[in-house]
Amino acid sequence: MTTKSLNSMSLNTTFLNNMLSNARFAGVFILLLLLSGCARNPVLLQSTYQALPAHTEITSVPFYAQTEFQCGPATLAMVLNHQDVDTDVEQLIPQVFLPERDGSVQPEMLATVRRYDQLAYPIRGTMDALLGHLAAGDPVVVMQNLSLPIYPMWHYAVAIGYDLPNETLILRSGEIERHTMSFSRFDATWARAERWGFVVADPGTLPAGITARNALEAISAYEESHGPRAALSSWQAFNEHHPTNAIGQFALGNALYANQQPEEARNAFERATELDVKMGAAWLNLGLLLLQQEEPIAAREALEHAASLTGSWQEKARLALESLNKD
Amino acid sequence: MKTLRAYLSTLLIAALVITSLPVAAAPATPQSMDLVSTQSVLSADRAGADRERINEILARADVQDQLLKQGVDLDEVDARVAALSDSEAQQMAEQLEMMPAGAGGGVIGALFAVFIILLITDILGLTDVYPFTR
Repeated sequence: MTTKSLNSMSLNTTFLNNMLSNARFAGVFILLLLLSGCARNPVLLQSTYQALPAHTEITSVPFYAQTEFQCGPATLAMVLNHQDVDTDVEQLIPQVFLPERDGSVQPEMLATVRRYDQLAYPIRGTMDALLGHLAAGDPVVVMQNLSLPIYPMWHYAVAIGYDLPNETLILRSGEIERHTMSFSRFDATWARAERWGFVVADPGTLPAGITARNALEAISAYEESHGPRAALSSWQAFNEHHPTNAIGQFALGNALYANQQPEEARNAFERATELDVKMGAAWLNLGLLLLQQEEPIAAREALEHAASLTGSWQEKARLALESLNKD
Repeated sequence: MKTLRAYLSTLLIAALVITSLPVAAAPATPQSMDLVSTQSVLSADRAGADRERINEILARADVQDQLLKQGVDLDEVDARVAALSDSEAQQMAEQLEMMPAGAGGGVIGALFAVFIILLITDILGLTDVYPFTR
């Protein structure tokens, strides 16, 4: 190799190095530009400004500073105590904390609330919905990623209030009893956790603003562990909020039936079939209930409806019809 | 675990087939026809009913296993699995490894570069990592 070619090679490497570091700078710069583009203030609906009071703070929510990684148990203790449930962080740690993960996962946060005979309703993931719950007096447990997706720092906190003119949210968070945070910073950290949050409510009450689907799932999960009779009052509350929801009427029918109110159950199943004529399960339960009430003519009609609808319950409806025809 | 799973599913399939036989063979009396539960209607769009039931039972065994591995006390595991709804148990069985676990601890032992980036994003109002940036 000649000296000349060696020189040109070293020249090339310095040139390359320069290029690379420039590119790196440019990359970081572009990344920051992009990121700051995402940091725009979350736009609230005009109706939110009109409908909600300018300031809200639910000061009655107690504060427990988290120790180590236990923000999950700490936030649960705060919202459960606010509901007059007798528990504390020490009791909650073995129920919701995962030692190897140094944290708590979302399904167990919801499940633990139910262990204390309370319902956990996931909220709609928007700032408007969040502020609405706070204005209604319900503290909201929120999940955040305080850091960036590449280096996540998952965190639970309790939103307890807001200040609309100053665009700040008030939280009980970590070791800070009254953590104020701009809407934009909060929304950036919240969005990285897919804007997940939930409110806690007594059985028989349904916080306003919860979507029908979320409420159905939450009450159904409560019913799974506590039985249909314990869920009856919540289904009644659901149907007051969503009177035209067929699944709600169907669920109410099942709970009434379990509570030994067959007449009321029958009414609910009938309403479910009126609201959704294609709901095979409602026709089937109505038919089975009518069979028990020894009304074979009405039962046959309902079961024929159920048997004519394709779905998971068609077969069962056919069997019931067959047994009816044999008698 | 694999063999246990295979064995369990066979057993469950057999159990479900056997329990459903009398309904098909014997004349069904109206009393034997239980009402359809709300839960099965809500999960109807997820999968076929029997397969769903097998998955749910397997999911609970899986979750129990995983919770023990994650260091949960033996005395608490049963109660924690029981507290989950069927859909939550399935979610846990499928994705516990990837699930975010809210911890809220500080950034300890982070690389210097990460420290700088998070410092900048904190100042920009994108993150909330260091208390002293507020």
